[in-house]
Amino acid sequence: MYYYVYDEFVQGQKFERELALVETRLTDLGISGKIARLALFRDPGEFIRDAVAQGAKTVIAVGDDRTLRKVIDAVGDEDVVLGIIPMTKDNNAIADILGMPQGVTACDILSGRIVESLDIGVVSGHRFLHTAIIQTSPEMTVECEGQFKIYPPKKSTVEVRNMTFADALARAANPIDGKIEIVVRDGGHSVFRKKTPATLVPVTHAKIMTGGPTVDLSVDGELFEGEEFHVSVLPGRIKMITGKERKFS
Amino acid sequence: MGKGSGEETIIAHGVRVEGDFQSGGSIVIEGEVSGSLKTEGDLRIGDAAVIRATVEAQNASISGEVQGNMNVHGRLELAGTAKITGDVEVEVLSIAPGATLNGKVTMNGTKAAE
Repeated sequence: MYYYVYDEFVQGQKFERELALVETRLTDLGISGKIARLALFRDPGEFIRDAVAQGAKTVIAVGDDRTLRKVIDAVGDEDVVLGIIPMTKDNNAIADILGMPQGVTACDILSGRIVESLDIGVVSGHRFLHTAIIQTSPEMTVECEGQFKIYPPKKSTVEVRNMTFADALARAANPIDGKIEIVVRDGGHSVFRKKTPATLVPVTHAKIMTGGPTVDLSVDGELFEGEEFHVSVLPGRIKMITGKERKFS
Repeated sequence: MGKGSGEETIIAHGVRVEGDFQSGGSIVIEGEVSGSLKTEGDLRIGDAAVIRATVEAQNASISGEVQGNMNVHGRLELAGTAKITGDVEVEVLSIAPGATLNGKVTMNGTKAAE
């Protein structure tokens, strides 16, 4: 049984026509199912867990990457397959990497059901599929695998990446390699100095310590804060529907 | 985004690493490492890098400074800017003019130079 979770923002008039097309196409493909609508002050975890208990085997986030993150948190360790129907051009990095096109065309990909087991990153109890970004502090250290410590430069950013595209300074992070990557980017360069490639260390677990101050942590776009962050990977923990155009293999 | 692409480790310029630094894949170092450094793959040490550690690698290419004993199972290439202080155990050794190597060199398990 399919279970569709509509994010709050797709319930407006702007998406009315596209949603109607999606629902029609899902019916044509024989994969329509129950629909849940996210709303302010409504805990998605509660009704998604209820749906799974009642037999939902596939949960589809209808919205953007943030919708998928809410669904991932809600599903926890339940044995279900997840998918996404991206409805906007923004906040779709995860959908892009999974090879899921926008809007009604995603329905055919869902119907194809190419299911991949992907790694999930965890930072201080919060799960993420894409990236966790940690605001740096002057005394920050990153203890990797309990064996060695990385001391980032003072003006730098620290990221923990699980599934990302490559950029000018760091390669792509692969969600099926059983590792997360600690990425340290030196922010101390000027327009007169060439940008240096990022430090990139694949690990299974690490501890990031700020050395005192409380700093911001962004987990797939959601903000938290803390002084010490434990990061780890759950290899192959999540089953996701992907398209043939997915950006990993 | 290919399989296994995540196995290369990079330590950039300005970053310091301390402890037992190990990797199953190749390692590129442009920063500083102290402690021990071990890889089952290839090791590349850039010209600004400073290593104060025992080093073990399959193959190594060095342009920077290494203070510590090295065990390279295959080929070790020292660029003209390389500065090595420590004993070296290696199968094949290549030294460019200008490189400095102060230590005992053992090749193929036999003492080749001192």
